[in-house]
Amino acid sequence: MKKAALLAGLAAATLFGAKVLASDLFDRINAGRYQAILADCAACHTKPGGKPFAGGAPLQTPFGALVPSNITPDLETGIGSWTYADFRSAVKTGVGKDGKRLYPAMPYPAYATMKDSDVADLWAYFQKVEPVSNRVVSNQLPFPFNIRATMIGWNLLNFSPKEFEADPNKSAAWNRGAYLVNGAGHCGTCHTPKSLTGADKGDEFLRGGNLQSWFAPNITSDPHKGIGSWATDDIVAYLKTGANRFDIASGPMAEAISHSTRLWDDADLTAVATYLKDVKGDGAPAPTPVVATDAAMTAGKAIYLDRCSACHISSGVGQPSLFPTLAKTPTVNGTDPTSLIRVVLEGSQAASTAAKPTTPAMPSFGWNLSDADVANVLTYVRNSWGNAAPPVTAGQVKDLRAALTR
Amino acid sequence: MPSLSPSRRQFLSSTGMLLLIASAPGARAAEHSGSLPWKPFAALPPTTLPGGRWYVFSPEEARTVEAIVDRLIPADELSIGGREAGCAGFIDRQLAGSYGSSERLYTQGPFAAGLPTQGYQGSAAPTRRYREGLDALNKHTRANFGGKAFFDLGAAEQDQVLKDFETGKVDYKPAAGFFNLVLQNTMEGFFADPIYGGNKDMAGWKFIGFPGARYDYRDYITAHNQPFPLPPLSIAGRPEWKTGDK
Repeated sequence: MKKAALLAGLAAATLFGAKVLASDLFDRINAGRYQAILADCAACHTKPGGKPFAGGAPLQTPFGALVPSNITPDLETGIGSWTYADFRSAVKTGVGKDGKRLYPAMPYPAYATMKDSDVADLWAYFQKVEPVSNRVVSNQLPFPFNIRATMIGWNLLNFSPKEFEADPNKSAAWNRGAYLVNGAGHCGTCHTPKSLTGADKGDEFLRGGNLQSWFAPNITSDPHKGIGSWATDDIVAYLKTGANRFDIASGPMAEAISHSTRLWDDADLTAVATYLKDVKGDGAPAPTPVVATDAAMTAGKAIYLDRCSACHISSGVGQPSLFPTLAKTPTVNGTDPTSLIRVVLEGSQAASTAAKPTTPAMPSFGWNLSDADVANVLTYVRNSWGNAAPPVTAGQVKDLRAALTR
Repeated sequence: MPSLSPSRRQFLSSTGMLLLIASAPGARAAEHSGSLPWKPFAALPPTTLPGGRWYVFSPEEARTVEAIVDRLIPADELSIGGREAGCAGFIDRQLAGSYGSSERLYTQGPFAAGLPTQGYQGSAAPTRRYREGLDALNKHTRANFGGKAFFDLGAAEQDQVLKDFETGKVDYKPAAGFFNLVLQNTMEGFFADPIYGGNKDMAGWKFIGFPGARYDYRDYITAHNQPFPLPPLSIAGRPEWKTGDK
């Protein structure tokens, strides 16, 4: 009898212990899944319509093409043979298994600030992802960039890994926001301008960057070029639903919202907004707008009234949730008109989120407007209703049209 | 009181119809979830033919049509005439498209006479009707006006010939139908968007005060009893779009 009770007790203890362990592992995998959403790993490592994390579509960098690797736990073609140390080193220092150097298209300079506990959770999750056999030749760069060892020099110049340190003088929300924006969220990968070597210009943090024929706008608190006029709630709504009372996401940001930020916890989005409201712009005053009597302005106004005003309204205010506001918005007042030219030429479709499933789209005007027409209408938009930005030239339109239709 | 239950015949025929509908392959709709399909640069621009040449008409046919359209819409103090507006070029390009060969119409027999209200009921497509009609017109004037083609006649004589065609007073049975065809196409050329070759500089629209291919009047909807301030707009734009220095 005693023996039986002892055995039963032992069995119960074993079961209970296993359960605790299982539950702990589940929590870590689940936390890791959230880290993968925060870091938007799928954006690069999942091909559109492909198996999750089994390798992505080629990234066109100024140096050549890079294909995001297979990060499923497949032994042969994925990271199945990696250890946690290999994984941590790849994510946080850009040095993969066997000392293989990663290119900073993988945003390890941002992930370097992630806490080890978060990276460990991410590792727990990626071990449980379905292994997919898919061999990816990542490095398709031309000489000399195809020599991975050149990244040793790049890292010496541009990379000083440092885990995030909270600022005790700021609120918990601010610190959480700073951690997310600089780390997993890697906002600066697109929104911070790049140096000649492709590294973030640290002193121009989040002041807008050009990549893959898009301009990621200035998202500092700059009231003219940035999102200084957006309230915290506006930023949260934008990241959660893809739209707020001013703007609707399109292009790569629509993807970032669809894959990532719409799934973030509300508290994290509020933290991000709190932090972004405190990121300083360049402090430069708004430029003087091009005068309304300028030939480009009068021609642009005629085109705007005939082709744009039905949706964006003659005063540029747009329609909430349907057509973006053009008056006093960061993309419109940005130094670089690439995204504006692009959406006029090829059209655009809004992000699809559960909250905003309509995906209103802008038609393409590339067939109907000449390079000069596009330049003039954008010069008008960028210098009306309180906007002020350098005029757009027909040459800029011509170059982008060629790049997009190549 | 009639029975509410369906008869055997009704039941069989309705079931048969149901099966027929269910098995039709074309009845399957495309399904989309998430966002709607979208492609960059998606557009269906209108198909147009470049001007500066004749596609269907021979030189003599072209001169004849130009002379006709200039009598149907003569230049006066209100507007330019049909010739200057490009109506003949419009008709030529119209005939070069699907219209000229009645590509989208049923054109097989039987060819019943039909009532005047039923329009043309014959077997010829518009291009053939033009060829035959223009030939008949010039034969008629050459026979009756000292060997002159229609375009060599004076305006009064041309008007008389056109009236005779309109009322069928000539030795050409389809004369009235031909006249009405040309009249219809001339009006289309005078008022269609300039991208199709007629309505030069939107003259037809300026003439009648039509604002053109616009689609938003919200700024003006409350401005009662005031003229609409914007000039007409073609699909291709309007002169105000250009800065003039290019």
